[in-house]
Amino acid sequence: MKLFWKVLFSLHLLIETVLGNWWNLAAPVRPVQTSNTSLETFISMHKESCQRFDYLVERQKQLCMLSDKMVQVLQTGAQQAVEECQHQFRNSRWNCSTVDNSTDIFGGVLKFKSRESAFVHALSAAALAHAVARACSRGELNECSCDARVRKRTPRHWQWGGCSEDIRYGEKFSRDFVDVKENKESDEGIMNLHNNEAGRRAVRGRMQRVCKCHGMSGSCSVRVCWRRLPQLRIVGDSLSTRYEGASHVKIVERKRGKNIRKLRPIHADMKKPNKTDLVYLEDSPDYCEPNDELGILGTRGRTCNRTSAGLDGCRLLCCGRGYQTRVRDHEEKCRCRFVWCCRVHCEICRSKRDHHVCN
Amino acid sequence: MTGTIIENLSGRKLAVLVTFLLLCQITCFLIGGLVAPMPANVQNILGTVCKDTSIMKNDTTKWFYNRGKGKCKSVDLGETRHDVSERDIVFAFQMPIPREGETYDYSRWQQNLIGVLQIDIGYHSQMEVKPRSTITIDARLAYRNKEDPDYDWKLYTQSVEKRVLDCDIDIKTEDYLYNCSHIPLFELGSLYHDYYLLNIRLPIDTPDMNAHIGHIQDMWVTVINQNGGFTKVWLSLKTVFFPCIIGILVWFWRRIHMLERKPVLLEKMLLTLGIALCFLNAPFEYLTLQFDLPFMLLLGDIRQGVFYATLFSFWLIFAGEHMLIQDASAQSSLKQYWRHLSAVAMGCISLFIFDMCERGVQLRNPFYSIWVTDLGTNLALTFIILAGISTGVYFLFLCYLVWQVFINISQKRQSLPTMCSVRRLHYEGIIYRFKFLMLATLICAALTVIGFILGQVAEGQWKWDENIELEYTSAFFTGVYGMWNIYIFSLLVLYAPSHKRWPVNDNTSDTQNLSEEIEFRGFPNERSEISSLTSFIRKATID
Repeated sequence: MKLFWKVLFSLHLLIETVLGNWWNLAAPVRPVQTSNTSLETFISMHKESCQRFDYLVERQKQLCMLSDKMVQVLQTGAQQAVEECQHQFRNSRWNCSTVDNSTDIFGGVLKFKSRESAFVHALSAAALAHAVARACSRGELNECSCDARVRKRTPRHWQWGGCSEDIRYGEKFSRDFVDVKENKESDEGIMNLHNNEAGRRAVRGRMQRVCKCHGMSGSCSVRVCWRRLPQLRIVGDSLSTRYEGASHVKIVERKRGKNIRKLRPIHADMKKPNKTDLVYLEDSPDYCEPNDELGILGTRGRTCNRTSAGLDGCRLLCCGRGYQTRVRDHEEKCRCRFVWCCRVHCEICRSKRDHHVCN
Repeated sequence: MTGTIIENLSGRKLAVLVTFLLLCQITCFLIGGLVAPMPANVQNILGTVCKDTSIMKNDTTKWFYNRGKGKCKSVDLGETRHDVSERDIVFAFQMPIPREGETYDYSRWQQNLIGVLQIDIGYHSQMEVKPRSTITIDARLAYRNKEDPDYDWKLYTQSVEKRVLDCDIDIKTEDYLYNCSHIPLFELGSLYHDYYLLNIRLPIDTPDMNAHIGHIQDMWVTVINQNGGFTKVWLSLKTVFFPCIIGILVWFWRRIHMLERKPVLLEKMLLTLGIALCFLNAPFEYLTLQFDLPFMLLLGDIRQGVFYATLFSFWLIFAGEHMLIQDASAQSSLKQYWRHLSAVAMGCISLFIFDMCERGVQLRNPFYSIWVTDLGTNLALTFIILAGISTGVYFLFLCYLVWQVFINISQKRQSLPTMCSVRRLHYEGIIYRFKFLMLATLICAALTVIGFILGQVAEGQWKWDENIELEYTSAFFTGVYGMWNIYIFSLLVLYAPSHKRWPVNDNTSDTQNLSEEIEFRGFPNERSEISSLTSFIRKATID
């Protein structure tokens, strides 16, 4: 019996890997032929494009088909997540590199239940919530909900009591869309669900409160406050800090009535992770050497910083293999002058610089 | 000889009345907390960047919007483009934004609309934004109604405005945003139409214009409107209070006219206070459901101002009339109090001028703000500081007066044991009730202040809590509003002249008592009907 479950589980894992994750949407889309742009074909077109993403599960496809702008919003979310991941990991051994022509955009790296996987899950859930909230604020998505936050008894009319913040719908959508794929029973599912939620909370936690007084003669006898959506970069920074302090956990089963599976620190003396912390179950694979099977590119050929003692320093980044120094002509934009709205006038400055490349 | 009702009311009746008023007060608070939604609603709208391909840019019939038929072509500002010039960029904000698959429209119950602009500026190491740079905004506001087609936007108002952009940044790295303070953009005193559209351009008519504002990545407009539900609850309260106060006012004035003497200053003041409250209570807002009345914000300020001015003056005169050491022969009039009242007058006048400069001008141009220019800021600050100083002086003076009253009362109290027992008990009752009312005033004022502070402090903690059943802000507003209505209601009731006669002492065997009675009665001839506390005290002074 145990063997059967193991087989089933690995089969499930296999299917999941084959299907890939929703962040594959970040990959450049093959152009759809647009011959006729009447409204009806347009609607059917976006539905079709949702169906074409075969790595989405049924519920995700349904959500994708909610609105004609949804595909675009999902893609924005995925692309921003990848961009942000690459920015945050630009100095690490694994630099969040993406792979073309693969079922998973990150290759197989995230098959490990590693810290990196935790970060990417949190970041992508956050980026999706962020992108949806932005689209709501822009008025692009008609479906954004308007739940009166506190009161359930009074009528939920917008004209009576107004609407909740856009980020609430963003979070709800992200929860609905991203979490649907996770299996609540599996170890990986529990870990991913926790990290997804941590990501969404990072967005909410970084919101900035702004107030405006509009009482008698503009005095603060009447004041209204709202919160601003943070820049995704700020969310990425905060998640990056969480990544560094991520908790190594194990799954604990409690058989009291129901079978409750919970995350507990791997050592009893460590702090219990709270909802905003990232958690991981396995140590990261070795990112130093290329591994085709896992999609790890290795650090060969990466540029390193000779003077840095941090992760981007040549000693750490090159995994002790040493580095070569080349002198290169460096071209850089400089003395830029930005002209509102859309132009940047720059000069190009040339200099010779040392360039350190890992062996 | 008659006194006021408070002096003749039995303790039981007073207790019943106070309990009833207290219940009304709690009802007001609970109506706000349980029925009404939050007072105001906020929508954050992210601007859609539209491309204006027309050659004539000052054509106000051409509008850019991002939803519905004829929507604009949007541009991504993130990438640098060479086919778009700054003149072609229009930020479009279509309000309200749709929700739950429906196109929402504004209802006239939502009363007013305030717009706040927030600009996201990206950091570039090569081009830092100075902390206080000026941004020139060409803002145009259009409206449309439900029955109009999607493209039929009509110009509401248009203005080119200068605003100060106050930005700083903590992490000076590329791709981070400046932390810019929000800019008040417009205030509409009436929300008459169904849809509004704001088009913002950043013109560069002179080489210096908008040259140092950095790389704008996004523009947000936060629109604030009063919640329809709150207006409904508020108006219902007004509709209930208005006839009540009118009724009690008529009753009060009839009582005074039934007397043989002319009304005294305190009674006139009470009447004025009642009328000011009626002016505040009058549900003029019903008119906004039918007509476009942009002056409602200003009118609301004036109504509140008139009420506060009368209330403050009343307190002064109330304390002054119970000063106990007055020239008994002089009929007190408002002229006597001109020095006391000058602080109130000055505060009110400076606030009124400030309000006319800000909200008065906004009637003509909703984008106007006095705070933009340095001269305007100084002017506004002058008036506000003047008003602040007046308030400070006023309260110091009031405290001094009240303190003196209490000192006098306690002094006069010492002479009480020399009086006969019946009258002594009576006078002690009067002093007790006078103090009781002073206490009521103090409690009302303290509750208002505490409620306000509690709201400000608690906001940070409660604001984003999920499970609060009570809407504190609304409860505070309705509670305070109800409280001052009830306060003035009770003043009118308790300080109206009583029909009851003085308890005539039948035990005339007590000669001392009789003589005192005669002496007391005979003393202030023409003023026999004013508050007997005052007369008692005047008598005591002469004693």
